[in-house]
Amino acid sequence: MNSTFDRRDILKILTASAALAGPLQLAAAEPDKPLYFTKDEFALLDHLTEILIPRDAHSGGAHEAGVAAFIDRTAAEAFMPEDKQSWNKGLAEIDRLSVGETKRTFLKATKDQQIALLKKLAKADDSPKSDGEKFFGQLKNTTVFGYYTSKIGIHEEMEYKGNVILEQFAGYEAS
Amino acid sequence: MLLQFPGPGPTEVDLKSTYDAVVVGSGAAGGMAAYVLTTHGLKVLLLEAGKYQDTSKILHSMEWPYDHPRRGKMPPDHHAITLNEYNIRQSPYAQNSPYGKVQSYVQGWSGTDYSKTLVVDEKEHPYTGTRYAWVRSRAVGGKTNIWGRLALRLSDYDFKAKDRDGYGENWPISYADIEPYYDKVDLYLGISGHPENLPYLPDSKFQRPVKLSYSEMHLRETLKGMGRVLTPYRAGVTTDGLKHNKYRSRCYGRGACSRHVGGCDIHAAFDSPTGLIRPAWDTGNLTMRTNSTVYEVTVDKDSGKATGVGFLDSETRKSYQVNAKTVILAASTLESARLLLLSKSTLYPNGIGNSSGHVGHNFCEHMMGPSVSGFMKDLVGKLRTNDDGRPGSFYIPRFRNLEGKRSEFLRGYGYEGGSGTTMMPGSAYSTPGFGEEYKKHVREYAGATIEMGAFGEVLPKYENFVETDPTVKDAWGIPVLRFSYKFGENEQKMAKDMAAAGREMFEAAKFEVLSTSDGMLPEGWSIHELGTARMGNDPKTSVVNQFQQCHDVKNLLVVDGSTHVNASCQNPTWTIMALCWRSCDHLADQIKKGEV
Repeated sequence: MNSTFDRRDILKILTASAALAGPLQLAAAEPDKPLYFTKDEFALLDHLTEILIPRDAHSGGAHEAGVAAFIDRTAAEAFMPEDKQSWNKGLAEIDRLSVGETKRTFLKATKDQQIALLKKLAKADDSPKSDGEKFFGQLKNTTVFGYYTSKIGIHEEMEYKGNVILEQFAGYEAS
Repeated sequence: MLLQFPGPGPTEVDLKSTYDAVVVGSGAAGGMAAYVLTTHGLKVLLLEAGKYQDTSKILHSMEWPYDHPRRGKMPPDHHAITLNEYNIRQSPYAQNSPYGKVQSYVQGWSGTDYSKTLVVDEKEHPYTGTRYAWVRSRAVGGKTNIWGRLALRLSDYDFKAKDRDGYGENWPISYADIEPYYDKVDLYLGISGHPENLPYLPDSKFQRPVKLSYSEMHLRETLKGMGRVLTPYRAGVTTDGLKHNKYRSRCYGRGACSRHVGGCDIHAAFDSPTGLIRPAWDTGNLTMRTNSTVYEVTVDKDSGKATGVGFLDSETRKSYQVNAKTVILAASTLESARLLLLSKSTLYPNGIGNSSGHVGHNFCEHMMGPSVSGFMKDLVGKLRTNDDGRPGSFYIPRFRNLEGKRSEFLRGYGYEGGSGTTMMPGSAYSTPGFGEEYKKHVREYAGATIEMGAFGEVLPKYENFVETDPTVKDAWGIPVLRFSYKFGENEQKMAKDMAAAGREMFEAAKFEVLSTSDGMLPEGWSIHELGTARMGNDPKTSVVNQFQQCHDVKNLLVVDGSTHVNASCQNPTWTIMALCWRSCDHLADQIKKGEV
């Protein structure tokens, strides 16, 4: 059977959708001018996300994927004040813990010291208790979402093959 | 607020004339009633409480997340009720919420910005009583705009379940009565699937089936050895196209239906507006009024018959009455029960059609929660394939309590599942750690994952019911529903078995099991609420007859999931539409003979 609804119609719908998406766009943060965070907070956040999902031989990491900018925008428009503040408090807690262990703020600590601190916080993955552990969970979840929904995450890292028009389904026929 | 569909058709609601039928609700059931009755040449008025929203324009099925400013999430002042909130808070869940709009949990799924206007604001639509995750859509097409698409038939294992295990009531029909109507629904709306010749899950008139991934093929072969079946997802989707419907495209395997909250902007997946309402409109016999909130069925004091309905304009709140020879409720299981209960009069002091006292009772659905996830070792680190370019992955039909040995619980369950790559690798959240090793793990395991979740039959019980709340009203001043509904011992036993059987099947296939869960999700989670105006031959214990006419009021029909006698474990939409078609054919015949 052939449908009278052909591919030209589908293309029409797709272009209409793209056009509608236009007015929704928000101003993007400029790298040196975050929407919500201070410059120092933004630098720390950017660094943390890149440690969680770093550039490797396969693809770019969270920094290149603009994950910190995505979090900055999310925090800027968050409706509940505590959702905004949890980021400032969490970032401050990371520095506080770092100073406690190394006498240096996180960005000034060595790479090994930074990773050691995050590993400690990551251990409580399933049942975070301390403020630091809870913030690590929040940071990881948001970084994961921000990274794997980014251009780099979808196309370069995961090499996602879908979201295309297929004449035939891919896979094996049940028999 | 009249719908401006192209083509002929009346454009005004004529409040002085008497329509052949007024249909309340425009989802799967209401759309079907409008389609069948208008093609019989009857004049139909369709009333929908919500607005018309063109899903071709709002669903943005192929938009990449990074092209959306919030990556598909709702505006900041919108909130979707979380699982935790259903568990720890009392309904009405939106009460005292600081958010501007509060919506049911489905809006928490990815791509929520695309369906935010299709799902009701809980602040305007409260309900009270026991825990229940009630998902409602007030829009032309209702929940068919975003439904999950699994389109299954019931069998005599369901219609005559009492004969098999002694529990509950039989339906007043058997499979042979409804089979021709399942065929009609299949051919008219399109369904994709692979025939399996199972007596407990009859085949449909299938179009091109979806294909299976490597791990799914392997699981299918494994299950054959256990006497179980894994079949390609039976989707209410036209995969070959429909010559007779110019409003719908065939499926192009974009996989968009699983990425967003559901819905199809080219209408390959069935939705009521393009599948049924536009064809009904094209007959010239349909009038549709949107923004029309029906609050009562009106009655003639002398004859006891229904005379029409009273409705409010949802925006202006002005009240109207409209007359019709027949009134057809298709407002969704719980909303239709609410309307029956709200329609109190001296003749019908407990609500219209409720002399049995069964309206709102025998409420049932599908229980969800138990699940299993794992991966197939052979696929770890393999090249990427496109595994989600299909309207669904696989279904494992019921295998418990069919023949021979009985379980510790009654009835059965099926499993819905999927495997392989998706746009967002779900395992990224559950993979522990961080850094290069974490990233590599997520990358290499994404194509190897396989998971499935169970849907089980919840036994219908008189003690599980809804009633109108004596004090709480919705934003239109209409009394809301109060729930007295809880899963019971049978569901708990079934949940344990679901998890154990899920693990057993994965282990048999030599999949590495990552997690299993035997916890039940809150009541309502399946969005398959059924019962509340069940059909039967005995007016003392049922609300409608086999043609969905109220025993007490023959020109009042209830044609949605309300009339199901039990939930089966198979998804209800296809059965709702087949039953409705059958009842409307019968009604049209009666109207022509002057018997109603």
